[in-house]
Amino acid sequence: MAEELVVHFEKLLTRVDGLLSAVVTDRDGVVLLRATAPNCTPPFTESALGCTFALASDQASKLGLKKNKSIVSVYGTYQLVQFNHSSLITTFVANSSANTGLLLELGSELESVTQVIATALHERQSGAL
Amino acid sequence: MLKPKLISQVLQQATTGGVKATILLNPEGSLLAFAAQSDRDARIYAAIASNIWTIYSKHCKADVGGLSFLMLECEEGKVAITVVSTMILCLVARDDVELGILKAKSEALTRHLEEPLSKVAGY
Repeated sequence: MAEELVVHFEKLLTRVDGLLSAVVTDRDGVVLLRATAPNCTPPFTESALGCTFALASDQASKLGLKKNKSIVSVYGTYQLVQFNHSSLITTFVANSSANTGLLLELGSELESVTQVIATALHERQSGAL
Repeated sequence: MLKPKLISQVLQQATTGGVKATILLNPEGSLLAFAAQSDRDARIYAAIASNIWTIYSKHCKADVGGLSFLMLECEEGKVAITVVSTMILCLVARDDVELGILKAKSEALTRHLEEPLSKVAGY
């Protein structure tokens, strides 16, 4: 199942030009799933991505606009598109010229996939207790 | 020097079509000028926006270039945060406003305010 998910994520990298990596982490930054484009070195530390988003998302949820769903951050040469999917965080790292709208749409599509992972994790934790 | 009333009038021009607040703040989160429904809302938006901007700007390494833009999507609203000279510009909108128009308004305000704010940046 995990290998199928990795293959699914690797296929996603070909759907959007400029998409370099897709990572699913928990809120502590532990990487659950990773797919990276060939010959590409992501410019960010993947575990730090999850922690950064968790902090920022908690702050954003205090704006009075209810819960934060996603954050797009654009740097000089890269952009990060991150999603709050229950207890998991999905991060896309792409070139700054990549289509942000497509990346946002991709994240919405992946919500059902990350939901499966989150449910499995929750069941495992409940079983362990 | 800057005319604070004029800056507020410029920011007011963006608060149409679902944009609830347009705020200019310094990186420490203090308000410089705003156009919003209440000053309490503006202060809250400013404090949180500067905090989130700081979190993400510290995250990047030197070789990826500085942070230039942030877009936040929440269940009942959207926020765009960008930098103008040494200050931060924040737009808060209802959920039915598209991110593209929010970004376009931010960029238009940035182009308009960049030159005058750069002149006072050294003070």
